[in-house]
Amino acid sequence: MSYENRDIPEGINVSKIHPIKEFAWLAGGLIILVILAVLVLSVLAEKFASYIPFALEQKVALPIASRFQDDHPLSTDQAYIKDYLQSLAAVLAENQGLPEGMEVSVHYVDDSTVNALATLGGHIVIFKGILQIMPHENALSMVMAHEIAHIKHRDPIVSLGRGLTVYLALLSLVGLSDHGALEQMFSQTGLLTMLSFSREQESAADREAMLTLQRHYGHVEGAAALFEHIEKEEKEDKTPSFFQSHPHPRHRIETIRRYSQSLGDSADKQLTRIPERIQQLIKT
Amino acid sequence: MIITNIEALPGKTIVKHLGMVQGNTVRAKHIGRDLMAGFKNIFGGELKGYTELLQEAREESVARMIEQAQAIGANAVINVRFSTSSITAGAAELFAYGTAVVIE
Amino acid sequence: MANIISFLVLLILGYVFGQWAERRHFKFIQHRERLLKNILCFNVKTLPSYDTAPDVELVVGNVVISIDYFKRIAAGLNNIFGGRVSSYESLVERARREAILRMKLNAKERGASMIFNVKLETASIYKGNGQQVGSVEVYAYGTALIDNH
Repeated sequence: MSYENRDIPEGINVSKIHPIKEFAWLAGGLIILVILAVLVLSVLAEKFASYIPFALEQKVALPIASRFQDDHPLSTDQAYIKDYLQSLAAVLAENQGLPEGMEVSVHYVDDSTVNALATLGGHIVIFKGILQIMPHENALSMVMAHEIAHIKHRDPIVSLGRGLTVYLALLSLVGLSDHGALEQMFSQTGLLTMLSFSREQESAADREAMLTLQRHYGHVEGAAALFEHIEKEEKEDKTPSFFQSHPHPRHRIETIRRYSQSLGDSADKQLTRIPERIQQLIKT
Repeated sequence: MIITNIEALPGKTIVKHLGMVQGNTVRAKHIGRDLMAGFKNIFGGELKGYTELLQEAREESVARMIEQAQAIGANAVINVRFSTSSITAGAAELFAYGTAVVIE
Repeated sequence: MANIISFLVLLILGYVFGQWAERRHFKFIQHRERLLKNILCFNVKTLPSYDTAPDVELVVGNVVISIDYFKRIAAGLNNIFGGRVSSYESLVERARREAILRMKLNAKERGASMIFNVKLETASIYKGNGQQVGSVEVYAYGTALIDNH
């Protein structure tokens, strides 16, 4: 009987795969899985969000709204503008057929930003900047009806649902250690900036707004006026931030034109002027 | 290739001892199996997924051990031992080792 | 953002230094395996026949090796999808060969040239964050035969 130790070839007990290659495969797979999971979750969140009662949404938005009002105190003149906007919104909301229990409250911000937005709890914020570029009330009504339509369609809560899911998913990936981020999200700015609507939601709001205008004025003349103005501005590369998430103005103008043709307007297409006093107040 | 965990082979003579050969593999179960095992832990019973996984991995470690034995010209591995250790959460190392010999 | 950057930095550092250390360790192991080639290891208990009875003594060798950050993350990914965890395979291979080498060295110091009934124990020792085990210990032991003349 003889005893010896022979040399064993290397590498039998180690899998032959390049670590980076394996890592890339696994990480890629994981990313795809996470994206799929987030997509599924956000679709579910969107679906369920619209079943949340409007009263609850209002309750959630209440502290934000009151803080917003504290942050932007209105002078008598500005309150006058706000009242005008509120009464316009009330008429449009009625024409749009806002469901029982839903109400719209308009806020006015004395700031030259060209912006208008709808957020949780039926709150609509109109900036002075957007009023200044309104050629007539019909154009203003188009924007207002568009924002009311967002509220009618429950778009803010739906996109909150979607945004929250994506945010929480990202947060759980990065680790829940960052509590500051969560607080910031629930703060006013977080909620306002997070609510971006999808193109589909914007187009649906546009369609709804045109129906409202049709009911209110009997025609949709002037609905495209604001977008025409914006398109002109855009050529000079001055797109207001508000419109970046929206469909291209050109596209919207065409849709409105097509729509107004299909409606077969009444012959009398009178444009309503914005009241003299309001025009003077927003001049500066 | 004869694999055994005793030290002598009936009717055969060991003519050469060639030293120790080893085979190992580390295997993890996928997350789906983890979830199923979680449910099973409530009700008890065999974790079929894990049984299969460990058995499959052990077969691979034996195969690697045999590969080593063949590479050094042995025709039997005697006194084979298995050892299993949990290297990390959800992964187990299956290790087999024995002495490679030449028998006649 | 800061955690993502530190994660990526750790990952790259772990990969570069981990691969470098592993290659160097394997080279070192191979070098010493050649040096200690004359110490024979078997895991059988039957001793060779002898004329004068040799002295016997227990010889041992142990080592704890840690995994690098890159491989730890890779192993975490393996844990999701299942299958071979190749990063740990090379780790235990290194540890095992190192432990056997140290046992052989132990035997050589005693003037032995053969070790019988070699056994290997593996244990994961450090359970760090999230139960991820970063290190393994391998313990090798056997009985060395020492010629006493």
